[in-house]
Amino acid sequence: MTLAIILFALALGCYLIAVLEDWAVHGRLDPLRPAVSALALLGREQVLPRKSDRLFFEVGPVLLLVAGLLAVAVIPLAPGLIVTDLATGALFLNAALAYVLVALIMAGWGPNGAYAMIGGWRFLGQFVAYAMLIVMTITAVAMRAESLSTTEIVTSQAALWNVFYQPIGFVLFVIAAMGLAWLPPIDLPTGGGDLAGGVEAEYTGARLAVLRLARLVIVLALASATATFYLGGWLGPWLPAWAWTAAKTLAVAAAMLFLGRHLPRLREARYLAVSWKLGIPLALANIILVGVIALVVPI
Amino acid sequence: MNEITQYAVLFSLTLGTVGFVLAIYALARAIGRLRAEPAKDVPATAGALARDPVWVRYHAKYYGYALLFLAFDMEMAFMYPWAVVYREEGLVALLDMGVFLAVLFLGLLYGWSQGALRRQ
Repeated sequence: MTLAIILFALALGCYLIAVLEDWAVHGRLDPLRPAVSALALLGREQVLPRKSDRLFFEVGPVLLLVAGLLAVAVIPLAPGLIVTDLATGALFLNAALAYVLVALIMAGWGPNGAYAMIGGWRFLGQFVAYAMLIVMTITAVAMRAESLSTTEIVTSQAALWNVFYQPIGFVLFVIAAMGLAWLPPIDLPTGGGDLAGGVEAEYTGARLAVLRLARLVIVLALASATATFYLGGWLGPWLPAWAWTAAKTLAVAAAMLFLGRHLPRLREARYLAVSWKLGIPLALANIILVGVIALVVPI
Repeated sequence: MNEITQYAVLFSLTLGTVGFVLAIYALARAIGRLRAEPAKDVPATAGALARDPVWVRYHAKYYGYALLFLAFDMEMAFMYPWAVVYREEGLVALLDMGVFLAVLFLGLLYGWSQGALRRQ
């Protein structure tokens, strides 16, 4: 029952994020557009590029979707409304999202097309830039909660949300999450107008539909992870718990989607330089700072 | 739910996802098949086959970062258990990890000074 509710919420959330993305990118608010696009993709031909690596080509989108779903599985929607409340939830989220890299490299390598290939390798560079920022900021969150369980991380924020407790970590996590979900301005693997679609270039029809759905699930997973780790998850007055989680997740997703529209695309070398020369020292400082606060203040 | 059940749920979620994708593919196949036309399967390289093979060695110009990343990623294996018991251990934990992170950070600074943090 819980699983059914969460899967329904997931499907609804993905649909809303698709509507939001359409609004952010094209400036048109059309609640039916994602459904029409999905049906159109299903009706299209599925072309298999010549001399492709069939295994990698087929596994890429599926693995991406599995990674996104497993990440969502450890995010609580409300107390008790979680697929699996693992004791190592925050770590499991990392482990699941690590497969995004594997899936995108497979999707880039598989079709034997130049643009896809470059898109895949670019994402590897992007991974080296964002990965440490994600894990280091989550460490600081776990230090305060004294647990890696996502539900305990939420309850640890009852007195003060982490966004106020560790604002540096929040900013770093959001930037890294945008890199992980390849949202503009850090959308190097697809890079519209630059790589002719990049890893998406050779996918058509139902395979492209699965790839795009997987991307929406990953955006949702990261937005809800941000809400869980930094914005107090389901905590909030008046409204029921699930409504708070949903509202916070959609607000984070909308912020991430609309932010990218106003920024120029970042080159991979620039993103790497910024996150290693500025981001990682800041993330380490965040850990030390949270460590001192956690020892001095009992909340 | 004990741990085995939790992982069983996650595993069945994985299998269910694969089944869902296969169902979508079957639906798309039921709607229509691919019409075989010449040159339809050429990858998107301006309509012509690439002159050179695509599967070649790609110069990973970020390898300096990648090597440093390995060191930092290993360090994270220690950080998670440390973070969970941090408040119990108190000041000792802060000092222990402070020294460890300081050494690692010096490594980052050394790598930076030697030009590891740039596009090679």
